[in-house]
Amino acid sequence: MNIVVLVKQVPDTWSERKLTDADHTLDRESADAVLDEINERAVEEALKLQEAHGGEVTVLAMGPDRATEAIRKALSMGADKAIHVSDAALHGSDVLATAKVLAKAIGTVEGVDLVIAGNEATDGRAGAIPAILAELLGLPQVTQVRKVEIDGTTVKAERETEEGVAFLEATLPAVVSVTEKINEPRYPSFKGIMAAKKKKVDTLSVADLGLDPAEVGLTGAWSSVLEAAPKPPRSAGQRVEDDGNGGAQIAEYLVGQKLI
Amino acid sequence: MTDTVNYTESVERRALRAAVADLGARYGQRYFLDKARTGGKTTELWAEAGKLGYLGVAVPEEFGGGGGGIGDLAAVCEELAATGCPLLLMVVSPAICATVIARFGTDEQKQRWLPGFAEGTTTMAFAITEPDAGSNAHELATSVRRDGTDWVLNGGKYYISGVDEADAVLVVARHVDENGQRLLPSLMIVPTDAPGFTFQPIEMDIVSPEKQFTCFFDDVRLPSDALVGAPDAGLAQIFAGLNPERIMAASFSTGMARFALDKATAYARTRSVWGTPIGAHQGIAHPLAQCAMQLELARLMTQKAAALYDAGQDKAAGEAANIAKYAAAEACAATVDQAIQVHGGNGIASEYGLGALLTASRVSRIAPVSREMILNFVAQHTLKLPRSY
Repeated sequence: MNIVVLVKQVPDTWSERKLTDADHTLDRESADAVLDEINERAVEEALKLQEAHGGEVTVLAMGPDRATEAIRKALSMGADKAIHVSDAALHGSDVLATAKVLAKAIGTVEGVDLVIAGNEATDGRAGAIPAILAELLGLPQVTQVRKVEIDGTTVKAERETEEGVAFLEATLPAVVSVTEKINEPRYPSFKGIMAAKKKKVDTLSVADLGLDPAEVGLTGAWSSVLEAAPKPPRSAGQRVEDDGNGGAQIAEYLVGQKLI
Repeated sequence: MTDTVNYTESVERRALRAAVADLGARYGQRYFLDKARTGGKTTELWAEAGKLGYLGVAVPEEFGGGGGGIGDLAAVCEELAATGCPLLLMVVSPAICATVIARFGTDEQKQRWLPGFAEGTTTMAFAITEPDAGSNAHELATSVRRDGTDWVLNGGKYYISGVDEADAVLVVARHVDENGQRLLPSLMIVPTDAPGFTFQPIEMDIVSPEKQFTCFFDDVRLPSDALVGAPDAGLAQIFAGLNPERIMAASFSTGMARFALDKATAYARTRSVWGTPIGAHQGIAHPLAQCAMQLELARLMTQKAAALYDAGQDKAAGEAANIAKYAAAEACAATVDQAIQVHGGNGIASEYGLGALLTASRVSRIAPVSREMILNFVAQHTLKLPRSY
């Protein structure tokens, strides 16, 4: 059971995140960079499946040199090896270009049975990569799931939505994306941390993947950001003086917001 | 050691710190204080840290440990303390006991004990201090004598941490010959359920899950292999365990200081009086900046001590470990004190978790070696002044 896990290095959600003035792309220098938490869950799920069914877990990341830190974290959790697609030409890539690059990179791994991704990165928030990737690879997509099982050559999964739970099945190989309900990721053990530096990381460029640099990056993007403004600060809100009926007023407010 | 001093930690050390900090944050100070106040122990955190190999980082790989150094173990101790979960027994069990057994134990003793230290499933307390000797190994009254192939232990210890949680206690005792003559000290592994070994808790005004004990040894009969290393190894072995203890105590203190400083700065940034965050006032800002500098200096010295120890330079490590322990204790006591001051009345309110640190931070000036004993050490060994005792 060979699994590829997509991982992404993102600005820490606790730090202030900004876009650069020059081209409205993510300002990676202004914030601490971390392995996106949803990816830790994707890695965890891959490791669990590996424990049950054997095979190899490969981590795949596209990002600048610094993304090696995120890759290393995934390796320290227990993944076997990694592919790092790093190329200045990728700066400003949209989801279409990103999926194209990831699809090509997945193609360099032999005998892939499953691709696991987080449902959505905390920075871009497009949430479209797993679906586009499945389309490009010609594989079934089992997205937004809270539970995954492998039964022979079938992947079974549960997708929870506001309306209910859908029980999905697809034949392997397939692309799966997971939500935060999938599991609790493990902490890297000390041995895992020490072993991570000895694991193989293949660094590939856009040319290595046989792609034209014009297809990716800002120039290859199908849409462009013309303007960006920070969210206005929160307004002061509504102040309720409690003169005996404070509780009732809070209840009224919540009813007004359709919260109760 | 090369001549170049490395002021940044390795990628692995930083990854270890981040992983331990994540684990500690999931438990947090609330967990720690609840355990302390309800008579519980931090068993879950200890077990989880053990399983992840964080408690066994410094145990040799051949015994299931991480094969790292005291610098790695100190990083674990500091990061947990910085999340509000200082684990006192880390200073004792993996740092002193596992180190001494790994360095001086027989092959059988290593096989018997080290795998448990590697996984954190074995806990061993350490007993040196006595009412009439302090931690002066020359004056210890606790004695061990030969009886056939057995050893017989007599005497008592006090202020011994965590005996109730330990599988065994590593006891420092002096040999006595047939004439009652006191000879060199040795280290004896005494199971906590050994007949003749009793212990009583000492009531302490400190919020900690770990308790302090008075220990009594009345003709405690121990097998031949209870003695660690060679019977005539003397003080060298004991000091080999005390340097890691000081480095760990320093890390315990710097971690606690970081926790208090984080709380104080978060409060100073957000607590607003008359429209200005209190941190804008130099009366608040400058003392916190002083604490931050004092703390960083103590951390630097602790890292130096650990690096020297891990490089096998015991003598230089001894001086550095003492200085680090002194500096860390002063930084910890000063930072907790200032953090409380910044919080005003809230500094003592249970909700803010700082009052609970007051005694604990003060302990760092006393244990495991007092401020005054370190000053004696530096006066005598660094400055070559006449000895005072």
